Amino acid sequence: MKISLTLEIAKSLMLARLKQTTVAAVGVTFSLTMFVALLGFMNGLNTMLDGLILNRTPHIRFYNEVKPNPNQPIDQSEEFGDYYNIIRSIKPSASRISIHNNEAIVKTLQEDPRVLGVAPKISAQVFYNVGTINITGVINGIDVEAEADLFFFQDYVTAGNYIDLKNTANSIILGKGAADRMMAEIGDVIQATTAQGNRIQLKVVGYYQSGLGDLDNVQSYASIATTQKMLGETASYITDVQVKLKDLALAPSMAREYRDVFGIDADDIQTVNAQFETGTRIRTLISYAVGITLLIVSGFGIYNILNMMIYEKMDTIAILKAIGFSGRDVNNIFIAIALTIGFVGGGAGLILGFLAGLGIERIPFETEALPTIKTFPVDFNPKYYLIGGVFGLVTTYFAGYFPARKASSVDPVDIIRGK
Amino acid sequence: MKGEIVLEAKGINKYFFSPEKTQVLKEVTFQISKGEFVSVVGKSGCGKSTLLYILSTMDTDYEGALFIDREEMNTKSQKYHSKIRNEKIGFVFQFHYLLNEFSVLENVMIPGLKLGKYSREELEHRAMEKLKIFGMQGHALKKANQLSGGEKQRVAITRALINDPLIIMGDEPSGNLDKKNGDIVFSIFKELTQEFHQTLLIVTHDQDFAAATDRIIEMEDGRIIRQ
Ligand SMILES: Nc1ncnc2c1ncn2[C@@H]1O[C@H](COP(=O)(O)OP(=O)(O)OP(=O)(O)O)[C@@H](O)[C@H]1O
Ligand SMILES: [Mg+2]
Repeated sequence: MKISLTLEIAKSLMLARLKQTTVAAVGVTFSLTMFVALLGFMNGLNTMLDGLILNRTPHIRFYNEVKPNPNQPIDQSEEFGDYYNIIRSIKPSASRISIHNNEAIVKTLQEDPRVLGVAPKISAQVFYNVGTINITGVINGIDVEAEADLFFFQDYVTAGNYIDLKNTANSIILGKGAADRMMAEIGDVIQATTAQGNRIQLKVVGYYQSGLGDLDNVQSYASIATTQKMLGETASYITDVQVKLKDLALAPSMAREYRDVFGIDADDIQTVNAQFETGTRIRTLISYAVGITLLIVSGFGIYNILNMMIYEKMDTIAILKAIGFSGRDVNNIFIAIALTIGFVGGGAGLILGFLAGLGIERIPFETEALPTIKTFPVDFNPKYYLIGGVFGLVTTYFAGYFPARKASSVDPVDIIRGK
Repeated sequence: MKGEIVLEAKGINKYFFSPEKTQVLKEVTFQISKGEFVSVVGKSGCGKSTLLYILSTMDTDYEGALFIDREEMNTKSQKYHSKIRNEKIGFVFQFHYLLNEFSVLENVMIPGLKLGKYSREELEHRAMEKLKIFGMQGHALKKANQLSGGEKQRVAITRALINDPLIIMGDEPSGNLDKKNGDIVFSIFKELTQEFHQTLLIVTHDQDFAAATDRIIEMEDGRIIRQ
């Protein structure tokens, strides 16, 4: 049968019961609105919370761990080399936490096509001297530009200009927590002592606030050159090489690969931050579950209304069959009604969901912990709209399926006789 | 002017099983030729409606053989029966049975749209022509439920005609109308046979109506006793 006729009859049946049809469509609209708004919001939050850690975490970090030499003298001796030697209380040797030959390593990494960027770093334990009190801290010596490019350093500098760190000699950007404790204003000069006992005067050019309080209480940033000078090391002294990849998923395999090539330790982001992925996945799962539940509930609404319509329209169905419509034709008419409700209600739902997303995105959301966030984050990924739309149509189809089958099996003789 | 046979029933038996097994049609056998105006009469409950539902292919639960246009119907699918009803049979019920969601014109056009032989424009034209025959063209755009009983029945007959069916069947089409409207319906049927050589099979209680048809099939207790 021609689709146009099916649609025409479906349309007339719906118009004859406009109110119920509208209620059914509004049910779909509501659930799809909630579905996309919820998923958009949830995933916006997910991305933001993950970004909090993941943005600033290198995908691979190369470093030298302080640990005993696995190749102890007794193993090297000719006499005992073939024995199984047990040594108790081994101590780490005078360890090199500096990465040997780091320039070559950086160069090799930069030439790797999978690598987005490389940023060297120095971690230095220090005491900030405040009057007679010493506060422990860590000064990260960073390549300011690489750090800004790869790890959004500038986003977390809440006061002062991050680039001053590079342009001003002996400058420091203090962690907000540390600065508060020292009551150091921008422009002040603070004094720090390194673990080796060197004292150095540093000029505060900004505050750094990551949103993780523990971090902000200890971490501060200086340029690599300043840190090297502070530690009394040469220009080749680097303790960490941080790598950001084009594809995060490659991190574990690449970490393994280069660990062997360079003979140093390498941590990948998945191993270090496994818990974040789990959290993200569960939040996403919950939002899908809620969204799909809403859709199914609206599906029952459509089911009910179609069933009612079929009881009311028994005569119409009987006449249609008497004048030559087959069971399949009648079935198609009611499926068309269900799908129209799904299509119109769902379309409106997707648009309203998008608007709801825009609305949520405007709600102010300011917290000390998240300096870069001003409003609620919303993810407008078309994926959610696609999934919502498809699920909406599938539910309405199934909601229409059983009533339509019932309609198609109406026996016209029963109805005509029953009059 | 007896033409070829358009409808043939051979030894039709029909049972109902609730509340108990009863046979309502017994060895019903007859033929209808092209152009005939046949009436079926008989006491209430003798099985006239039951027979008509079988002949119209709506009821397929019977014994015996049914031929429409010399084509055997028993072995065909439901879908095929629908097609036959659409193409070859026009049915007029006692109760007017129009589609209340549609206008008069649309009601007449729907079987034609279903058949798909003519374009929408042509069908509209044909439908209007046929409505004109019965003086109903002025009501074409009304909704079906805005008509009187007699008017509805005229529209129902127009609808039965739209696909130029092989045969029109009617189950007491004037049974629910007053004398005047009943007469109008009868004169319409008469006109259809005389001017258009339309084949008609009409169940009726009205003796005068039956007497004026070409042939009377009389039933009693599920059997044809005279034809
Ligand atoms: N679904 C059914 N189940 C059981 N018995 C039925 C059923 N339909 C009809 N009957 C019986 O079959 C017989 C024939 O019914 P039918 O409707 O064909 O009579 P009719 O000749 O059309 O009568 P009327 O002139 O009153 O319309 C009646 O006795 C009726 O009670
Ligand atoms: Mg009857």
